[in-house]
Amino acid sequence: MLLCDFHIHTKYSDGSVELRKVIDIFGQAGFDVIAITDHVVNGDSMIGKLAYKFRLTVTEENFNEYMENIRYEAERAWNKYEMLVIPGVEISKNYISSDRSAHILILDIKEFIPACKSYEAIFLEAKRQDAIVVACHPHNMKGEIRNTLYLWNNRDKYEKYIDAWEIANRDDVFSVVSLRKYPYIANSDFHKPVHLYSWKTLLNCEKTASSVKSCIRHNKGVAITLFRG
Amino acid sequence: MLLWIILSLVILSLTVYILQILALRKKLEENYTSQYYPPISVIKPLKGLDDNLFDNLESFCNQDYPEYEVILSLQDYNDPAYRVAEKIKNKYPELVKIIVDNSSNALNPKVKNMIAAYEASQYEHFLISDSNVCVDRNYLRETVILMTPDTGLVTNLIKGVGGKSIGAIFENLQLNSFIILSVSFLDKFLKMPCSIGKSMLMRKKDFEEIGGWNTVKDVLAEDYIIGKLMHAKGKKVVLSNHIIKNVNEYWSLRRFLNRHTRWAKIRWRIAGAKYFTELFSNPVFLSLLVPILCGFSKIPILIFVAVSILKIVLDVYVSRLINLPKSFSDILIPVKDLITAFVWFIPLVSNKINWRDNLYIIGKDTVIIPYERNFSLRLLYNKLKEVLTT
Repeated sequence: MLLCDFHIHTKYSDGSVELRKVIDIFGQAGFDVIAITDHVVNGDSMIGKLAYKFRLTVTEENFNEYMENIRYEAERAWNKYEMLVIPGVEISKNYISSDRSAHILILDIKEFIPACKSYEAIFLEAKRQDAIVVACHPHNMKGEIRNTLYLWNNRDKYEKYIDAWEIANRDDVFSVVSLRKYPYIANSDFHKPVHLYSWKTLLNCEKTASSVKSCIRHNKGVAITLFRG
Repeated sequence: MLLWIILSLVILSLTVYILQILALRKKLEENYTSQYYPPISVIKPLKGLDDNLFDNLESFCNQDYPEYEVILSLQDYNDPAYRVAEKIKNKYPELVKIIVDNSSNALNPKVKNMIAAYEASQYEHFLISDSNVCVDRNYLRETVILMTPDTGLVTNLIKGVGGKSIGAIFENLQLNSFIILSVSFLDKFLKMPCSIGKSMLMRKKDFEEIGGWNTVKDVLAEDYIIGKLMHAKGKKVVLSNHIIKNVNEYWSLRRFLNRHTRWAKIRWRIAGAKYFTELFSNPVFLSLLVPILCGFSKIPILIFVAVSILKIVLDVYVSRLINLPKSFSDILIPVKDLITAFVWFIPLVSNKINWRDNLYIIGKDTVIIPYERNFSLRLLYNKLKEVLTT
């Protein structure tokens, strides 16, 4: 089984560790597949505007540089650790109300997708790029003041677009995902080194981007594990 | 009067510290030559993820050495280190073996990890190396040089590198001052055998003559006991000046305290009354006694500040000696010294240790007994039972 984490932030958004060091932290720990998913924040809300002001988001301007650096590091990770690195983003629609907020992982992204587009437009664009769409931390998280509940509250409308739901994020488990029998993965939502020790996904497939995506989409041979050092 | 007594102790402490630095300098100046390169089995016990684990293990696979093998030993396939071990084995299939075995009844978890690997090793010379150690390409060559016929054990100096979190910074500051200096001082001036578990090269013949794993399976300081028995057998225990790196990047403060409490308890159990002399290698703590006992007025505080600055300067000099880069974290040296002074007192009131998720009581010669609830009552009950039945 491949040990995977598909939700990882670097200094390109609000992570505390540089991209290169993040690759090394996961490589040194024996991971097989990871996805770098820095925030792309909507600029149409007060919270979003703050993210732009403090450079806590990937923007259309630095997206190409972001992708280029991920590609460079992916090659290094493969040569050194035999670890597959998939480029991604976390589309972050942030509002003061939890019911309006949602975060969406786009895995194997190729072109920039603005977060201020409508949900349908984002999902369709992701599909066009043959990327994987994951609903992040879809339910209430322990200790969080502001949750991201929009997708869960509107699941009947959006479930057809979503390839997988995060059933576990860092230390939280969202049993509602399993109760609805939704396809699932589990991730760390890595922002700092201590987050390495958290929920992860195990995939029974080849170590290639296409196999990994297919495995998540069909949700066969997927397991989750609580990774402790 | 009190002020003068404490001041004398502070000056004595600084003198001892400078002597320790001299010992390290002398150690580093030693030169050895030899063309003796016997085949070596490197045994690496793994448990959990150490910082930099992949690179640490890989550094042993890139040795500039004619013939050797690397054996990675674990107790459990579910250990997260197993995945890293597998990747290393895939990268160096000719060189690396993985042994997973949990059958030994040894209480020392590190020894328990190594017994099956030792049995699977093929060469007469074997080297035990901890998983958190990273070495240069010439490590085996420069270490084996000292393995002369009258030598039973070769061990290495260590330095801490890579600190990024506060716990890791403290850990490295302690390794790069107190630990490396006391080891050099014991070796160079006191001529005491000093073995460090992070790197121990031996011959199987000598090891088995001192009793092999049976003699160390239930002690905490297996490295110290092996060194002591080798010395008693008339074999030399030699400290190599090839410095190995202990990579500590993201330690928590708790982990730092836990390790140094454990090591302090080991030293207390080994050294007995001599343990009290350790305080003389902590001038910062002694100088803090000046304001505490004589009042927080200008001169006592000035003395404390002056000693703290001097200690920083001395430790920065030690860092230079062992080729460490300059670091802003050096200003934390006095804080670290005060924390370790606090840790120094713990063995006097507690003999319980937590190691690799196991709780033990530590006894004479670091013999360990698994800790259970109501341990003292059980001990008393067993003693009573023994008295009544004999």
